[in-house]
Amino acid sequence: MFANRREMIALMTAAGGMAGLPGPARAEPGDPVFEAFEAARPEQPWTLGYADAPAAGLDGVAQRLTGRLPEGLEGVLYRNGPGRFSRENWRYRHWFDGDGLVQSWHLEAGEAPVHAARFVETRKWRREEAAGRFLVPAFGSAPPDEEGLSGPDGMNAANTSVMMLDGDLLALWEGGSAWQLDPDTLQSDGPRVWGDGLAGLPFSAHPKVDPDGTVWNFGQDAARNALVLWQIAPDGSLRRADMVGDVPGGMIHDFAVTERSLVFLVGNLRFERMRLPYLESFRWDGSRPMRAIAIDKADWSQRRTWDLPPGFLFHVGGAWERTDGTICLDAAMSGDARFAIGGAYDVMRGVAREETVSQARLHRLVLYPGGRSEQSVFDDGYAEFPQVDMRLTGLERRYTWHVGWQPGQIQGPTDIVRRDLVSGATQRFSHDADVIVEEPLFVPAGPAEGEGWLVHTALNTRAAATELHVLDARNVGDGPVASWRLPYACPLGFHGCWRPA
Amino acid sequence: MILPAFILSAVLSSAMADGTASITVTVDGIEIGSGHLVVGLYDSAEGWDGETAIDGRRVAVTGDVAEIEFGPLPAGRYGIKMYHDVDDDGQLDTNLMGIPSEPFAFSNNAMGRFGPAAWPDASFAVDAGENAHAMSFR
Ligand SMILES: [Fe+2]
Repeated sequence: MFANRREMIALMTAAGGMAGLPGPARAEPGDPVFEAFEAARPEQPWTLGYADAPAAGLDGVAQRLTGRLPEGLEGVLYRNGPGRFSRENWRYRHWFDGDGLVQSWHLEAGEAPVHAARFVETRKWRREEAAGRFLVPAFGSAPPDEEGLSGPDGMNAANTSVMMLDGDLLALWEGGSAWQLDPDTLQSDGPRVWGDGLAGLPFSAHPKVDPDGTVWNFGQDAARNALVLWQIAPDGSLRRADMVGDVPGGMIHDFAVTERSLVFLVGNLRFERMRLPYLESFRWDGSRPMRAIAIDKADWSQRRTWDLPPGFLFHVGGAWERTDGTICLDAAMSGDARFAIGGAYDVMRGVAREETVSQARLHRLVLYPGGRSEQSVFDDGYAEFPQVDMRLTGLERRYTWHVGWQPGQIQGPTDIVRRDLVSGATQRFSHDADVIVEEPLFVPAGPAEGEGWLVHTALNTRAAATELHVLDARNVGDGPVASWRLPYACPLGFHGCWRPA
Repeated sequence: MILPAFILSAVLSSAMADGTASITVTVDGIEIGSGHLVVGLYDSAEGWDGETAIDGRRVAVTGDVAEIEFGPLPAGRYGIKMYHDVDDDGQLDTNLMGIPSEPFAFSNNAMGRFGPAAWPDASFAVDAGENAHAMSFR
């Protein structure tokens, strides 16, 4: 009458899967992490980026600092990121645990940008908001007296990215369902179910859209060395979803597509055995190679693999494939996972230190037929949140834009960078030292690659306010052509998308 | 139908007078107001692990709460597994990864660690007479 044990064990699969180890006793007088963060706040203005946003969200109008909105740049910038970290004076241990706060910036000619932020009303959010405390285990934290989980989306924080799909706004998270939102009001609708037998499957935060509008995505089942692959039509209907095995359980956050292939880089933070919190199921294993896997878009049973030097990554810039099958790819990679398993814990305690700040650099990989590969690194600074001209997804291209920082800079990136992948040359604009920049999103204007605008938010820790900057994507070094500032600070976010007017 | 029900209740009360027990299970947190609750009662760790229920119920869902009666039973330790068969296909639906996609719960509202809740966590004492046990989907 009941699902068999094996099926129930599968409860544990997605990042969602873990069910209730008893949490630590709740009667502790003070949470050391909460108290450390509170103590750090007055001395460390950067901690604003990791502070709780109001439960009701935020609404405001940004004031112009410089310049004016470029002609044609009208639409809405959506962003997502963790925005709620503590309840009942108990604070999450890991930055990635926070509940998703989706923000919208409405840009309209002649008007000041209108900003709104709303928490994604996941099941988790609604139940915990009603209870006044955290109820379920999170990705990197086990709150006191947590109740465990009974369903796959029970811990879905919907906090990582957003995408527009045929008029729907989806809040994305790595371990569970995409959450549907109203793009105008940001009100939550519920989990997206793509078809029969697909409820609750992970739909990761970095879907890729082919030039013809076909959407590709994946979800990882690290405990079973498997992926679910998704192919979605431009109208949001499911074309295909299926499981693919024999993909090592190294935490996979992002991937790339070419015209022919889905390309996965499996780093060396590997699933070891199920532990709670879920992140602790992963251990660094530098004894094995990093694995690159290219799966044929047309036949998911066909693949090519490459062994690469050990490493770690969150984000891929983009990839393309030559006629002989050689794959060219760029990614923000590092030699270890010090931020994921160090720095992202530290910031929750109000600590920033050189030892755990990310050392990701933009790398170029060339994966040749037959398993040979080449790797090179741009060693003139650190890089994260690589962005491309998305019209060229899967196609040969020249430019990647990203945030940048330098060794010793431990409180977050200050630079917006354009990298020429061919010559290696950069254009770089450095904001003031007390500005923390966020992902620069490319918005196309003219027909050629890179002809368009970079739109990015930033936390000005001196002004205690979040800013919006627009740069000419071809002339990044010139700095913003227009900037605005909100009357308040928002928590730092991860990823965004653009909806043209 | 009145007569058998009357007889049953007569049997029930005489059995309880003999030192046996009944359980009234109340269920809340039912999110979808259709389909059936499928409820299994177990009286041993072996039965729990081996999926041999000693009794079962299939109860039509009419609202966000439900009540299920078990008994007469000998006093002892019991455990309950329950799922909400939302689409009435007679099974706990799972997705491609084998993750249940219909709500389920265990007695004591116990949660599994890497699978179903374990007997020591989910079982509860049933004394002679009437017993109440509350369960919740979440
Ligand atoms: Fe990401």
